[in-house]
Amino acid sequence: MTTLNRSRETSKRAAVARESALSVKWARRREVAQEVFRNPLTVLGLIIIGLFFLMALAAPLLTEANTPDPYQSPRDWSNISVPPGEAGHVLGTDATGGDVLYGIIWGSRLSLQLSLTVVGFTLVFGTIVGSIAAMRGGRLDNLLMRVVDVFLSIPELIFALAIAAVLGPSFRNIILALAAVFWVKYARIVRGEIIRIKQAEYVAAAKVTGDSTWNIYRKDVLPNAVSPLVVQATLDMGNVVLIGATLSFIGLAQAGLTEWGAMVSAGQSGLLAGEWWLSTFAGLAIVLWALAFNLVGDGLRDVLDPKTEGR
Amino acid sequence: MTLLSGSLAADFGGTTDAVVALHGVKVHYPVKEGVLQRVTGQVRAVDGVDLSGPRGQTLGLVGESGCGKTTLGRVIAGLVAPTGGDIWVDVDATQHSEIERLRGVATEDRSPEDQASWKSLESNHRLGSMSRDKQSRYRRNCQVVFQDAFSSLNPRQLVRDIVGRPLRVHKEASGEDLDRRVIELLERVGLDSQHLLRFPHQFSGGQRQRISIARALALNPEFVILDEPTSALDVSVQAQILNLLVDLQKDLGLTYLFITHDLGVVQHMSDRIAVMYLGQIAEYGPTADVFNSPLHPYSRILRDSNPTLEDSLDTVKWDLSGTVPNPVNPPQGCRLHPRCPVARAECGWSIDDVLTDAERNTPVVFETISRVERKSDFRATVSFSEPEQAKKFAKRIGSLAAHEALEQPIRLDDKLVEVSFNEVSEAQLQQLKDGRWSSCTRTQNLGALPEL
Repeated sequence: MTTLNRSRETSKRAAVARESALSVKWARRREVAQEVFRNPLTVLGLIIIGLFFLMALAAPLLTEANTPDPYQSPRDWSNISVPPGEAGHVLGTDATGGDVLYGIIWGSRLSLQLSLTVVGFTLVFGTIVGSIAAMRGGRLDNLLMRVVDVFLSIPELIFALAIAAVLGPSFRNIILALAAVFWVKYARIVRGEIIRIKQAEYVAAAKVTGDSTWNIYRKDVLPNAVSPLVVQATLDMGNVVLIGATLSFIGLAQAGLTEWGAMVSAGQSGLLAGEWWLSTFAGLAIVLWALAFNLVGDGLRDVLDPKTEGR
Repeated sequence: MTLLSGSLAADFGGTTDAVVALHGVKVHYPVKEGVLQRVTGQVRAVDGVDLSGPRGQTLGLVGESGCGKTTLGRVIAGLVAPTGGDIWVDVDATQHSEIERLRGVATEDRSPEDQASWKSLESNHRLGSMSRDKQSRYRRNCQVVFQDAFSSLNPRQLVRDIVGRPLRVHKEASGEDLDRRVIELLERVGLDSQHLLRFPHQFSGGQRQRISIARALALNPEFVILDEPTSALDVSVQAQILNLLVDLQKDLGLTYLFITHDLGVVQHMSDRIAVMYLGQIAEYGPTADVFNSPLHPYSRILRDSNPTLEDSLDTVKWDLSGTVPNPVNPPQGCRLHPRCPVARAECGWSIDDVLTDAERNTPVVFETISRVERKSDFRATVSFSEPEQAKKFAKRIGSLAAHEALEQPIRLDDKLVEVSFNEVSEAQLQQLKDGRWSSCTRTQNLGALPEL
């Protein structure tokens, strides 16, 4: 009788426990988030990123989209190279009468496209390559890592430049070039992390339970390898736009595109004539974008992955 | 003294049933060098171990760090594949004597009945040849509690998922049933339902080790490998965990393999102990006997290294000299002899010993060695760049215990020193008395541990 009561008691407690399992996991995540928010620089970075995201999303509301191609500034041929604040152009116009503010706003959409596509692809692809190398080991690992070494031996910018130049000048090719270059870092990080984690006793313990390799990878290995990836991906959201801007600065994007790097490039001929606004505002946008993601990336690193500080 | 025959694997510790019996188990890791990853040597982590785990008892496995005890534990748990030898599972004394008999007969000399009998033994009891089904039953039956309570629990999983994982993997329970089983397991190890939904980092070292134990017990195993389960814990917590383990063994009839470097702990826990040194078993016997009258200098040294309250200032303590030799190239004869306080001529001196001694103790002499021409491990001509140093080298050998083992006097010829030792074969573990095994050559010859 008592054992029956006892077992009923236990299952009641078990039911309560199951309901709150999810909330415990969320509580843990909230703790991490709170720690991230404690750093004022990270919060500043997050605010800037938030504003850029809003700007990109609301671009058609903030300005009237140019037709047929919204990524070309509308031309105001009567007001060429007007300084900021004049003739209804808040940030002035460029040498062909294109509105600078319009360019910045629609440029943020291009930056978002560029960074999300490149980081998204490279993160997934690099993780797959790194995971295969580390889980399989042996010759395959050796082969894959030599390929990675070849990629790493060439500076990112030069390599991306070469690929984009071969593919021909267009924004899409810049994305392709950057994607081809950036995945190696993730492969390296993931491989290193997995090799470290495979030595941990909790992986041996999981093997003793008889679980499959795939489950061990999914439950034990990957979740513990994620932190440095999140940090690197955040930093790369900034880096990708920086290098992308460099490529379009030297003319690897279509002419007249509202890409920030292309705008800096277009504005430089006017700099000597005192037309400072185009290059300055576009350059400022690039700097703010890269800075914001670096601030957040550093903040995340302090919380998620303190041991790699200053890498 | 007459020696009893057979291997240590046949010693079932007074029982007639072993959960596991090892025959000449080896784990050698290749040492690779250069770009081409050429194999230049083998690290002999475990080098030919015979051992049995008697059912219902605790077998202690002791030795210093790096002697291969953890690797041996991992081999038995199936985490590391042995590079040599056989592991037999769930064999009784009759089956085992059959295995021993058949091992003595070369495969081509076996009669058809013998072949059939070997085949049936292999497919039912040998790890690696057993059916998948039997293999997985053994794996379920053999669980491990790891050394480091901080790294043996996945930091991203809740206690419920950690302890319930074996049940989930083997589809024994899910949902509410799983939670209930996990709570029962937690209560069994002195935790309770309020700990179900916590992360490992929210626990103390002792509690984490309790979680580890609960996980190991989830599938009702018969055999648990305890790999230094208390070495990372405070002394006060150690006692609690050890008592818990003793209670669990009593209640559940568990068989333990207790791996540790702590003799105090092993004395408290084990029925029998195996002392390991450099990948091999040095001594094996009932715990009290090994403690009170060790039959291997190494066991004596381990025991003496543990200070006790009964020690007086004039108690003679045996001590090791030097450091652990390189397991890629273990010493000839008895593996302990270069560090052994009672080593004599028969212990297996070789060229490597005198060279290692020169490198450690007379570096100036060692630096002037220009060439070593080996005829064997025991014979070589060593050339020096200066006759002065050659003389010193010869003199040094004369002052070592090794000089007793010289086959002929050292020949000194200007810059050349010719050294030749008596050849000695590898020391073998042998039964000296009933249930007492030692691999010490001198003890085997004298019938007792030599005097200091």
